[in-house]
Amino acid sequence: MKWTNFSKTAAIYLVLLLGALLTLGPFLLSILTAFKTREQFAQQSALSWPDPFTLENFALLLNGPAQFGRAIVITVLAAILILVGQLICSILAAYAFARVDFPGRQVLFWVYLSTLMIPPVVLVVPLYLMMTEAGLRNSFWSLVLPFAFASPYAIFLLREYFRGIPQELIDAARLDGANTLDVLVEIVVPLSRPIIATLTLITIVSHWNSFMWPLVVTTGTEWRVVTVATASLQSQFNGNWTLVMAATTLALVPLLVLFLMFQRSFVRSITIAGSA
Amino acid sequence: MRSRGGLRRRSAITGYALLAPSLFGVVCFLLLPVLVVLWLSFQSWDLIGPITFVGLDNYRSVLSDGVFGNSLLVTLVFVLLVVPIQTLIGLGAATLLTRSLPGSAWFRTIYVLPWICAPLALGVVWKWILAPTDGALNTLLGQRVEWLSDPALALPAVAAVVIWTNVGYVTLFFMAGLLNIPGQILEAARIDGAGAAKMFWHIKLPLLRPTMFFVLVTTVISAFQVFDQVYALTQGGPARSTDVVAARIYYEAFDAFDLGRAAVMAVILLVVLVVITLAQQLYFRRRVTYEMD
Repeated sequence: MKWTNFSKTAAIYLVLLLGALLTLGPFLLSILTAFKTREQFAQQSALSWPDPFTLENFALLLNGPAQFGRAIVITVLAAILILVGQLICSILAAYAFARVDFPGRQVLFWVYLSTLMIPPVVLVVPLYLMMTEAGLRNSFWSLVLPFAFASPYAIFLLREYFRGIPQELIDAARLDGANTLDVLVEIVVPLSRPIIATLTLITIVSHWNSFMWPLVVTTGTEWRVVTVATASLQSQFNGNWTLVMAATTLALVPLLVLFLMFQRSFVRSITIAGSA
Repeated sequence: MRSRGGLRRRSAITGYALLAPSLFGVVCFLLLPVLVVLWLSFQSWDLIGPITFVGLDNYRSVLSDGVFGNSLLVTLVFVLLVVPIQTLIGLGAATLLTRSLPGSAWFRTIYVLPWICAPLALGVVWKWILAPTDGALNTLLGQRVEWLSDPALALPAVAAVVIWTNVGYVTLFFMAGLLNIPGQILEAARIDGAGAAKMFWHIKLPLLRPTMFFVLVTTVISAFQVFDQVYALTQGGPARSTDVVAARIYYEAFDAFDLGRAAVMAVILLVVLVVITLAQQLYFRRRVTYEMD
């Protein structure tokens, strides 16, 4: 009985380890290859350790014509602006939907929710036309504007959270002469830190990773984001895998670090994101 | 009376003032584009020249040539490959991870990693791993397999990469679902003499129905829109064997410069996904019970 239990546990660990190896393998291969010289890559197995250990791929990536450093800066700036815009607009809207009584509240909330059904792929072609007409195609603002005003999804999550804040707290502040903005800044936002942290992670991850819209709306290296730069490196330097793997490593590692730092809130944010 | 009316008006003003920025965003960047794409589907535009009205020509052209039909079929096969396999693997992994063995949390963390990373970057890594001559997989196997350039292998290969990306996400939900099952129910079944297999099929699986439903809905909808991995791995080829709808819309618009046709395809995709979502919502309301909450 004991022996079968032990072998059963061993079998489970074996399966779990195999899964972990399969999951981590591509990440490790990408990172290992990024630190190899082209000569070593051509001569030795993909699984060999970098020898000599080199930073030349990263140097070429950041200083060369690919302008990868610029792409990183643009991606980070765009993500931050989108994050700030989305948080402010969504917090205001969510508070209105949760705690302010105004005509049309139900209908508007329903309209906001129904936009969650629109697949992003469908929006690419019309948004491209609109950005072209507005003279904003291939600009920094074309990366930011379509996402900076609100996310119905964030509004939905925030509204649920705000509804859990005791009304007495808000009424007490009101009696002390606080207006709606005071209430938001002094009571609602501080009490909602967990959900705001969750939304921050979701927004940063999804805009660091976003690809189709930046690919469509930007041309050339000027406003290229990390994913687009990686894709164009691959087609431009096809076969120069050490350079391309340096690019994928730079695209992947910041999120891996972020994930390991905020593991708990990440896991929670995925499950919250899902159950919405 | 007057003061109550005044209060109500004030709260209406406050409400709309708070809503204004997000309403601007929702109208300009979500609702308006849907109208624009509908309008564009009746126009002809090549990105450079003027936009001209062509009536139903784009619809005729898209519905009569085999290219879009092929894309719908490829997407359907892709969804049918990805969703069942990743659901099974996720369910299996979740069952193993909820046995509270030491180290489970670590495995869970590792399995989720691909889900949070850029699908495009992971697609590029896999492009190298699956490359015919200097790719890691073929070097490991010691033989040359044309994973991405053989029309019979390309779609399963892309599906495998997407499954690899999604399994952790699915696992997470099944773990939450399994941990939500009240201990008393499992205890009662055990006392009644239910074995592990019986326990899984007759107790756990039925109680997982809300989770299962949720996972199927979200993964079907996202699989219908796959683009990044296809762009990185195959660009829709070889011989259009991986030409999923999202990729077709992109190539039709920004490679063939036929925005009208791309708009028609986008409209059709929108209708298909809205119908799927609404059908699933209706089914959800009727069938899934929330007794466990």
